[in-house]
Amino acid sequence: MSLSKENKVGSLSWLKHPGHYLFFKIFIWFWLTIIGTITALVFLSNITAINAVSNEPLHGPMEKNLLYTAKSIERSVVKHKRTLSDMLSHPRLSKRKLLYLSAEQQEDSLTNKEVPNDVDLSLLNFTKTMSPQIIFTEKYQAFGPIQITVPSGNFYLYEIDINHQPPLFLRLKLMPGWMKVSIAIIASLILSFLFSRNLIAPINSLKKAAVKLSGGDLSARAAISVSRKDELGILGRDFNSMANQLEQLISSQKRLLADISHELRSPLTRLKMATGLAQMQANEASQSYLLRIEKEANQLDKMIADVLQVSRLEAKSQALSLQQQSLQIIIDHVLNDAQFEAKQNNKQLQIMGSADISVNCDETLIASALENLLRNAIKYANSTISITLKHTDAIYIEICDDGPGVPNNQLNKLCEPFFRQSDARDRVSGGTGLGLAIAKNAITAHGGNLVLSNKEQGGLCANITLPIIKE
Amino acid sequence: MKLLMIDDDTGLCELLSEYLTAQGFEIQSVHDGEQGLKLAQVNDYALILLDVMLPTLDGFEVLKQLRQTKLTPVIMLTAKGEDFDRIFGLELGADDYIPKPFNHRELLARVKAITRRIEHINSFNITTSNKLQVNGITVNLAAREASVNDHTLTLTGTEYEILALLSKNAGEVVSKELISEEVLGRRLASFDRSIDMHVSNIRKKIAEHISGERIKTMRGTGYVFIQGE
Repeated sequence: MSLSKENKVGSLSWLKHPGHYLFFKIFIWFWLTIIGTITALVFLSNITAINAVSNEPLHGPMEKNLLYTAKSIERSVVKHKRTLSDMLSHPRLSKRKLLYLSAEQQEDSLTNKEVPNDVDLSLLNFTKTMSPQIIFTEKYQAFGPIQITVPSGNFYLYEIDINHQPPLFLRLKLMPGWMKVSIAIIASLILSFLFSRNLIAPINSLKKAAVKLSGGDLSARAAISVSRKDELGILGRDFNSMANQLEQLISSQKRLLADISHELRSPLTRLKMATGLAQMQANEASQSYLLRIEKEANQLDKMIADVLQVSRLEAKSQALSLQQQSLQIIIDHVLNDAQFEAKQNNKQLQIMGSADISVNCDETLIASALENLLRNAIKYANSTISITLKHTDAIYIEICDDGPGVPNNQLNKLCEPFFRQSDARDRVSGGTGLGLAIAKNAITAHGGNLVLSNKEQGGLCANITLPIIKE
Repeated sequence: MKLLMIDDDTGLCELLSEYLTAQGFEIQSVHDGEQGLKLAQVNDYALILLDVMLPTLDGFEVLKQLRQTKLTPVIMLTAKGEDFDRIFGLELGADDYIPKPFNHRELLARVKAITRRIEHINSFNITTSNKLQVNGITVNLAAREASVNDHTLTLTGTEYEILALLSKNAGEVVSKELISEEVLGRRLASFDRSIDMHVSNIRKKIAEHISGERIKTMRGTGYVFIQGE
């Protein structure tokens, strides 16, 4: 029962106390780790990547094409003694894509077309010493350089594709910071969520099964997939096999109880029957012995009934047959019998207060608890048994005798089955030694509490607290 | 008067038949459920003593199947002693139950209480028509049956006795203690629900043919048969 109380405080409690949930711990830590890693990576890559340019070697037809263009420009300049700018404005070349001739000096560089303002060709200056490359920048893609040597100096030819979209990784690289961060956060959030859920789901299902199991539902099993081979999968399967074992044990114990009751009672029934037959024919002398046999058989019967009740109550296997009932009716029933019993023993009952309140309870159990406590009190009282009834936020019943009381160190042992004090409290009036155990268990089964204590002026007090349970 | 005892405890059967034979009954005993059910269906017994735990067919099952064709009075012998057993038996139409181990005198008292009406019928002259008519329900005291709108109610002996007792005292509260003593031949124990179970069975059977409450519960005291206008 104690298991079920945890993590059961309302459906939104996880919002108030996320720290109480393993799910959030794993989730937060894993997420923070991912975010931290990404941040560190981004930070480090920002230190090294100074310019937003990347490149790869140029091969194949494009290189040949470019080499051919360079050669033809070179040849035309020498052959026709044209300037480079004339050459570039030649219709054959000007129809082509943007061609860029980078000079040693940036001012001397030439193009065959007007260059859009947002295109920064100076980015290419760093690549002049390289072999032919494809160079990716944010705005364009350049092929080159191919060196052109003309009388006016050395130039480097690039063919530039302005409309070309930069490749994906460059686009990622060039994304604004906030976007990078939010993508990282969202992606890691989803990942962490899936990860933690995958980890926590079997634990939650284990928890649910454990709560159900402790609540008495022996058929409860954790829903763990058979294909799960990790530690949690093993734990889940171990839990389920434990639950199987438990179910088997408890059902066999229950069967054993029923069997014992049946098997012991059959010979007892025959014994009583045979005694009855003997009584019909017996003479006066043996009649008293037969009565004695009958009495002992009854005592044995009572004992079997008590043992069965205690073990059923202790195993919590007895289903309460709850009914809405006025407590006063139950108490009156019990007090009527007790009054009679007390009178026979020349003792008196003093009843104070009332408990006229309707509660949802198992009347036979409550009655047997009160009966046992009263019988005990009557047995040990010198002259008076006082009963105090009270109901406020709960029901309080106090049953006190004015007898010798019980040594304090034995008070909490009184409710153990078959506990007997070695000295004063002996079996005189034929109790079974189970009365107080039954009372205690019956009250606990109703969510109540039984406390035994010694009065200052002598005598034992039994204090019952019962919660008021309505339907 | 012929009784049938269905119990797998052969020793108990022997002792009990010796005892009851001495009391003037004729006892036939069988030790398993199936055989017992067959005998009970074929013969007319004054009463059947039926154990709950039986080989082949348990006591509840025997009772259930028997009640489909016959209303022979049944006393259940329960060894489990749990509340559930008793109430379940009474719901199925048992007339009374007696927990094992029982006192022979108590058993005899109950057997006599239930078989009493058989003697009663035999001694009564059936031709003297003696009918009670209360609030749409006719109780034929001579034939020992009750009917609603010409539908004869299939009441067990105990149920009939309770209905007859209530209708004889229509309009007055009849206490559960009185019903128990008159009909079951025993003192009502504290928290004994047998009478409530029987009354609830009667109510169900009446409600099949007629609407409206006939038997009212007086909380804590007993029952009243409501008189019509």
